[in-house]
Amino acid sequence: MEKHMAVCPYCGTGCKLNLLVEGGKVVGAEPLNGVTNEGELCLKGYFGFDFINDTKILTPRLRNPMLRRSRDAAFEAVSWDEAIQYAATRLSEIKAKHGPDSIMTTGSSRGTGNETNYVMQKFTRAVLGTNNVDNCARVCHGPSVAGLLTTLGNGAMSNSIPEIEDTKCVLVFGYNVADSHPVIARRIIKAKERGAKIIVCDPRKIETARLADLWLPLKNGSNMALVNAFANVLITEKLYDKDYVANHTEGFEEYKATVAKYTPEYVESITGLAAADIREAMRIYAAAPTATILWGMGVTQWGQGVDVVKGLSGLALLTGNLGRPNVGVGPVRGQNNVQGSCDMGVLPDNFPGYQRVDDAKARAKFAKAWGVPSLPDKVGCRLTDVPHLAETGALKAMYIMGEDPAQTEPDLAQVRKGFAALDFIIVQDIFMTKTAMFADLILPATSWGEHEGVFSAADRSFQRFTKAVDAKGDVKHDWEIISLLATAMGYPMHYTDTKQIWDELRELCPLYYGATYEKMEGLGCVQWPCRTLDSPGSKYLYEGNIFQRPSGKGLLFASEWRPPQDQLNEEFPLVLCTVREVGHYSCRSMTGNCAALQTLADEPGYVTINPKDAKALGIRDQELVWVSSRRGKVISRASVTDRTNQGAVYMTYQWWIGACNELTIHAVDPIAKTPEYKYAAVRVEPIADQVWAENHVQQEYATLKSGLSGAVSRAAKKAPAYA
Amino acid sequence: MNRFVAANPSKCIGCRTCEVACALAHTDGAGVDTLAPETFKPRIHMVKTASVSTAVMCHHCEDAPCVNACPNNAIVYRQHSVQVEQDRCLGCKNCVLACPFGAMDVVTVPAVRQFAGMTLSLGVKAQAHKCDLCVNREAGPACVSVCPTNALTLMDRASMDETLRQRRERAALEAADVAA
Repeated sequence: MEKHMAVCPYCGTGCKLNLLVEGGKVVGAEPLNGVTNEGELCLKGYFGFDFINDTKILTPRLRNPMLRRSRDAAFEAVSWDEAIQYAATRLSEIKAKHGPDSIMTTGSSRGTGNETNYVMQKFTRAVLGTNNVDNCARVCHGPSVAGLLTTLGNGAMSNSIPEIEDTKCVLVFGYNVADSHPVIARRIIKAKERGAKIIVCDPRKIETARLADLWLPLKNGSNMALVNAFANVLITEKLYDKDYVANHTEGFEEYKATVAKYTPEYVESITGLAAADIREAMRIYAAAPTATILWGMGVTQWGQGVDVVKGLSGLALLTGNLGRPNVGVGPVRGQNNVQGSCDMGVLPDNFPGYQRVDDAKARAKFAKAWGVPSLPDKVGCRLTDVPHLAETGALKAMYIMGEDPAQTEPDLAQVRKGFAALDFIIVQDIFMTKTAMFADLILPATSWGEHEGVFSAADRSFQRFTKAVDAKGDVKHDWEIISLLATAMGYPMHYTDTKQIWDELRELCPLYYGATYEKMEGLGCVQWPCRTLDSPGSKYLYEGNIFQRPSGKGLLFASEWRPPQDQLNEEFPLVLCTVREVGHYSCRSMTGNCAALQTLADEPGYVTINPKDAKALGIRDQELVWVSSRRGKVISRASVTDRTNQGAVYMTYQWWIGACNELTIHAVDPIAKTPEYKYAAVRVEPIADQVWAENHVQQEYATLKSGLSGAVSRAAKKAPAYA
Repeated sequence: MNRFVAANPSKCIGCRTCEVACALAHTDGAGVDTLAPETFKPRIHMVKTASVSTAVMCHHCEDAPCVNACPNNAIVYRQHSVQVEQDRCLGCKNCVLACPFGAMDVVTVPAVRQFAGMTLSLGVKAQAHKCDLCVNREAGPACVSVCPTNALTLMDRASMDETLRQRRERAALEAADVAA
């Protein structure tokens, strides 16, 4: 049996593992003693590898480039030469006719790695000539990046994953760590065992709430009010660190004025919490010698995500919980390489290494390195702008790599309209997905396990992963495909391996310059900033309390609470909040093709509902129900549980039949443009004929599955030369 | 003393990694590909209520109700554990009713026999289905190996004695606190 070192391709914990290979097939995964995982793996880490082997449980792996010359035609398998030439011609035509800003690309925050993302943004900026490049951070931690960049000067976790177990207080806000990052949940459990106080702010009784010293089940949509009340308590009860505030922050007077009205008593009706509990939370937080705030999508997937992130960083600034070990602010990244996509500049406003596109010096540096006369200075459009820009005709083409927006974006009906309005869509992926069904051209890439590279874990840890097996079929590495396309469009681009790409990146990014492949050999892990070759990297940010802002000080910034945007009424009386479950990941193209994970959970998925709400609606546990919003209607299975708060229901977002994003609203944060996935007004209705409903689910599921697999198998048959 | 796997609810995050590891450890090495909803029968069960998440499995009781209830002596004490001699199991479910932990189940599997190079189907065979402590697995119980939060522990006489020692020490200290 062969063993090949890798980094898990699921969440942002960055667990090191060995892929076990027999006869060219991956047969198992075993944990390695990586810095962040210390010999542990979770459900997905242990049992989430077999998608590589093309199990065809949910959807087939792509084996050939596939093209259709009109949207009503079927796909046909074509050669790489034809596929690349076709793509180059169409993109060049569109660019000539409508300008570079009519084209948008995406990086991929998943298994492809940092090098590919670097190459994709280089292609977008240097070859297409636009900053229209984005990644799915837009729909997850975009507000964390935007908020923290403003207040502290760096959008990443300030602390390290291993530090979490050594902190004396963990304030968990809108973050279901047990389902999102099980191996980080272990750190919180260890912290508690070592005497740390755990405070959890979450409407649901999530696993961490069960273990918490204090659980604040706030009402859905009241985050900003609670965070302001926290600040109010720290100031009025004089729990804040006056010296720290005086020496290392600015904006205190305005901040104090804004939070003045948010007394715990004032926010009781907004948050549904007792004032005494709010006060108690801050007394615990402020008393701890070291305290860490961790948050997730419960903070960011709101129309007011950036403001709440700024507010949370304010709590750390007020109490001096930054710039030293075992403290800080942790927006814990959900996808394995969403930190990496941002690090690599797969963002419409940043080059790699967080160098801004509207900075002339940065533009000149990158233009020189990439051998082009100039680079675009206009900030590009965001992923969530796509449906609107496509419908208005401003956007004509999209090159989507390793993402499935037809499953993961809000208000899917609007997303489909947007795709239909585009002239040309390229999808580059390892699986046939719902998004690929909208494509004109499909480019098949190698999977995690079939290529090597570097991932960035949630805590800025660069770690290398290696190839375990040879890819089957006529597929190429993502970065090779992009290079071929660039060359065909008149910009010769050639790399021999990922190290060559990485070294080019390092030369251009002072933040990463010292993070060499050699340092990351084996279990090596380098946390940026790592500016010199002899630097080991940085476990935590802001050492010496120097913030990466012009003044060197942290900014205290408070905002008024705004209610959520969708409106509850008699017709739609419940809040739908979209969440995650431990066994499935993202759009499910990977985990849905893993035998163990698909065995544990399959269509149509669950809508969890409080027993009181279920009783009032006449809904029993495990029955199929209709869930509808102003935008759509889907079938799901009721899970009646006390862990769900009254007045709200929760669905996970990876199901095709129980697709909660048919229901979610396209209302976005004004700065980060992140959608309000956490609040849609819905109605849940029982279905009298359960037998019909069960059959309906099975039929719809079979139709969708055969649609996707049929598209691939028919294409292969049509062109036997490439089958 | 019989060994058993103990679960700590204050560490469990309800992820069901133990269930998959258990099912996989009982596929005769066939691997993860063979797992499917119809045949997924772990011997450890994650239970989630409003206030608790934890795994429930066989306690390998010293005076086991299942052993006592079996009319055909199919359940025996062996290797410091309670084991089922599947050849003798009738599928009568007395053991299921007797177990106070819900740790015993009776399942049916396809019964086949090899004869002259052919596989003959003999209908179904009943099996009393419970934790066997992975006695044939070198590394010990699979559930304990994989639990990402170390909520599962294999308890034997030595680890039980150590737990008892710690508990008594804690009790003594608490008593001293009260006295002071």
